[in-house]
Amino acid sequence: MSSVLDSKIPSGSIENKWKDNKFKMKLVNPANKRKHSVIVVGTGLAGASAAASLGELGYKVKAFCIHESPRRAHSVAAQGGINAAKNYQNDGDSIYRLFYDTIKGGDFRAREANVYRLAEASVSIIDQAVAQGVPLAREYGGLLSNRSFGGAQVSRTFYARGQTGQQLLYGAYQSMMRQVDLGQVELNTRREMLDLVVVDGKARGIIVRNLLTGEIESHSADCVILASGGYSNVFYLSTNAMACAVTAAWRAHKRGSYFANPCYTQIHPTCIPVHGENQSKLTLMSESLRNDGRVWASKLKGDLRRPEEIPDTERDYYLERIYPSFGNLAPRDVASRQAKFRVDEGHGAQGQEAVYLDFRDSIKRLGEDKISERYGNLFQMYEKITGENPYKSPMRIYPAPHYTMGGLWVDYNLMSTIPGLFVAGEANFSDHGANRLGASALMQGLADGYFVLPYTVGDYIANTQLKPVKDTDDAFKAGQDGVKSEIQKMLNIKGSRSVESIHKELGRIMWQDCGMSRNKAGLTSAIDKIANLRKEFWNDVRIPGVANEVNTEIEKAGRVADYLELGELMCRDALSREESCGGHFRDEYQVDGEAKRDDENFCHVAAWEWNGSADKAQTRHVEELKFENIKLATRSYK
Amino acid sequence: MLNFLKSTVGRKYIMGITGLIWMGFILGHMAGNMLIFLGPDAFNSYGHAIVSNKLLLYGTEIALILAIIGHVSSAISLTLENRSAKGSRYAVQAKGEKSTTWASRNMGAQGSAILAFIILHLITFKYGAHYQTTVNGVEMRDLHKLVLEVFTKPGYVAWYIVCLLLLLFHLSHGAHSVFQSFGILERKMQAPLKKFAWAYAVVVAGGFLSQPIYVFLVNR
Amino acid sequence: MSSDKKNINLRLKVWRQKNSQTEGSFEILDAKNVSPDASFLEMLDAVNEELIQKSKEPIVFDHDCREGICGSCGFMINGEAHGPQKGTTVCQLHMRNFSDGEELVLEPWRATAFPVIKDLMCDRSALDRIIRAGGYISVNTGNAQDANNLPIPKPDADEAFMSATCIGCGACVASCKNASAALFTSAKITHLALLPQGRVEADQRALDMVEQMDAEGFGACTTTGACSAACPKEISLINIAKMNREYLRASVTKKEELSGGGDG
Repeated sequence: MSSVLDSKIPSGSIENKWKDNKFKMKLVNPANKRKHSVIVVGTGLAGASAAASLGELGYKVKAFCIHESPRRAHSVAAQGGINAAKNYQNDGDSIYRLFYDTIKGGDFRAREANVYRLAEASVSIIDQAVAQGVPLAREYGGLLSNRSFGGAQVSRTFYARGQTGQQLLYGAYQSMMRQVDLGQVELNTRREMLDLVVVDGKARGIIVRNLLTGEIESHSADCVILASGGYSNVFYLSTNAMACAVTAAWRAHKRGSYFANPCYTQIHPTCIPVHGENQSKLTLMSESLRNDGRVWASKLKGDLRRPEEIPDTERDYYLERIYPSFGNLAPRDVASRQAKFRVDEGHGAQGQEAVYLDFRDSIKRLGEDKISERYGNLFQMYEKITGENPYKSPMRIYPAPHYTMGGLWVDYNLMSTIPGLFVAGEANFSDHGANRLGASALMQGLADGYFVLPYTVGDYIANTQLKPVKDTDDAFKAGQDGVKSEIQKMLNIKGSRSVESIHKELGRIMWQDCGMSRNKAGLTSAIDKIANLRKEFWNDVRIPGVANEVNTEIEKAGRVADYLELGELMCRDALSREESCGGHFRDEYQVDGEAKRDDENFCHVAAWEWNGSADKAQTRHVEELKFENIKLATRSYK
Repeated sequence: MLNFLKSTVGRKYIMGITGLIWMGFILGHMAGNMLIFLGPDAFNSYGHAIVSNKLLLYGTEIALILAIIGHVSSAISLTLENRSAKGSRYAVQAKGEKSTTWASRNMGAQGSAILAFIILHLITFKYGAHYQTTVNGVEMRDLHKLVLEVFTKPGYVAWYIVCLLLLLFHLSHGAHSVFQSFGILERKMQAPLKKFAWAYAVVVAGGFLSQPIYVFLVNR
Repeated sequence: MSSDKKNINLRLKVWRQKNSQTEGSFEILDAKNVSPDASFLEMLDAVNEELIQKSKEPIVFDHDCREGICGSCGFMINGEAHGPQKGTTVCQLHMRNFSDGEELVLEPWRATAFPVIKDLMCDRSALDRIIRAGGYISVNTGNAQDANNLPIPKPDADEAFMSATCIGCGACVASCKNASAALFTSAKITHLALLPQGRVEADQRALDMVEQMDAEGFGACTTTGACSAACPKEISLINIAKMNREYLRASVTKKEELSGGGDG
């Protein structure tokens, strides 16, 4: 273990770090800004907000997205809301409390300085969004409405019905389109980043595939921002959209950007269970359902009765039983794990991988009208998908992969271990530690894009000697050649297995052995299984069609190839982290089913360095985490 | 303003305004024609009064001609653009909840038939046989006689009825659509305005229809 | 899940088109043993797996979130945009809505402004260009006052939200016999015009967005209501009325820009 990681956390008190740092940063003269170019990969919340803000400042921005339009980015699907320490409700919220909650919620595995800055920025995000016309929910007096979310003890979540992500994304997207109209941002759609170009040790461009023509293109700039999202699709079935991939981040990783804490994944407790073999993705239902729904499983093993036929005495309301003070509102990681334990012990709903979320009692107490007013759209969605009426029989729910806290390692300035490569949003590892709180993902993506990168990117450009680089230089040619030959190699295999079938198999391994709970034996065998599957992929995958036109199978194949490498790293990271924390639960490290953290040996970030080939073990670097403001403590929700 | 008139939205305003002018006219025309139920003298006197007031006559005629030119030319240019905007059509048409009304889909065809009807109608009546009569000592044209002559021909009555039914549909959609085009539709006004449009269409088309049927069946 | 319905077999008549330059045609494909709990796209996934096993190219269609919010998916099923169920995208349409032995005709969105890229996938970037022309409020990052300094009546905020839920899937254009983008364009114009912070630029926005809508080659609205009926977010026709009003007012009252007023 070596420590080459300099987090560049500024000195000074936690309250002044960002403020002082902003002042110390070098500025780029307004007239010079237009001479500098920035590539932004990904146009979700983090990417679109960064592209818009940098365009407004005067930089020449080139934005890239995999979709036909930036409005399709998966940020669009976030339902619940966005946290901000506005304290509009006068219920004792503050920047410090949001900071505290986020550190504690992340099970003390995030950097204090980053999280404090996030809490500070949260306030401005809401102002910015409202000024953009984002229609957040309001009270009759015309002021903004808040709700309490994800077990928080204050009401700090702003929301737009169940479509908060959509509305915030459109706000950022529209701001970016304005810069496109002004000529500040050049938008490149249907492009997938397949390599990072590093010149003289600095990130200077990217290689992309035009998904319409198959053409491999080079794009150069003074620096590169990756905002390419998370990697939950390594599990095949997740709540992520189909195109969510680790590819952009992974290709950067292979060029020298360390990958931090890959094993930190969040499994969301209230998703609609798997219906069958052909299922392509899982659908999340807002956590708010747990405010009035009671979670239970049958006390009998292998109980095949319909839920309505199971009397109360034979029902185990296990969250209420184990966590009397938080009950059904226990945090995501805890609630998910307990559901898994019930199913593993044979208490699954009618023998399936599901537990019940029951509204019978609240309907009795409040009436069907009140429940419908609160959750009508969710009930409707549930019925549309399952064909069952949740007013009559309890919902079936099961946890599903939802968010990944791990990602490319970045310092305080959101710069990776490759100078000039910045990473924002879910793609970086920075703010959520080992578990993310509800309504914090939108906050982080926008904080990075609107309020952090515009400063730190400028500081980098002002401080760095950037020699002119053209996208016809050798480094770009070499990058193009590499990408082309890899695609050709995949096409030439002409084996027997579809990309989809291999992805499904990888997903099953990951879910089984690197999912809600992990152990040494499982992880060790998973590493072997993944290595074999990877071999099978490279020997036996079948991709119809050709490279120089729309070919969705080529797209999927590249992404799955990267997942086959990432999956192994996740298992290795999980194996080497011999403790339980947040979303990472090791069977060996627990006290009666509760996570047992090891602050003595693992109060650090693990960042992995690629060593040139998938078959060579990666090097694990650590960044020690120091808690100077919040005392390390055991999370308890009992 | 020129840009406005060239835009799709602007031309819909022209369609709406010109449509409204004709909506007003045909309502009056229908009401006036109802005098046929009171006999030849009332009917002829009414006609005479209108043609005697030259200002009213020419003013109305000019307004109607301009309106129909605006209506038809906008319709033609929009229809051509709409066709090229759509490109090819679907192999199957929607049938369920997502289908649209026949009236709204075929405004152009209805309009073309109605235009043909108007021209024939003018040839038949305005420029048709000129009979003379005297009512209360005043010399005037005996339109009543012409109407009776025409409305006893089964072929003409059938054509008339078909065209009026098309007018019914054209108005049922147009009289609602005009509020949409003008932007005076609000959420709570949607349903009442639809009802109004149908009521208007039924009154106008029904009134017009009653006349040939009355002549053909009763007053021959 | 625990649906009691049996699996079904369907005959699909799918539009296959290699690219925008070539002519397309229908191909008949069988979807066998389809679970009623599968979504429409999952049914197509299975058909595609079979095609790949036969070394044939899979049916290409746009899709992403598969939970009805990203707006990527969409094609015609028997002449209906997103299929027969109202207020639903095709990814949220489940096979229990179909019966055994049915024949389904699948066609891409058809509009000159949405050229077909391949099979059921088409190019909807015209919608982005309409937004780009003015579908925003000009506020730079960091330029905002406190969010609660500007109270907005709840009914206005709610109405704005209803318009803002448009996912840009293009079903409105696809279902319209004139391929009009009036519902899409008007939803954004209405959303921003209803809010005080959006009023400042409302005139210019209406002018620019309508101009761009026309320039893209979309047809005119003839109020058939097909768009709203097909809209997965059930956006109301009143948005179009509001757009027309905004556009008229802007055309009549637009202030002349004075030169030299901007830069001090």
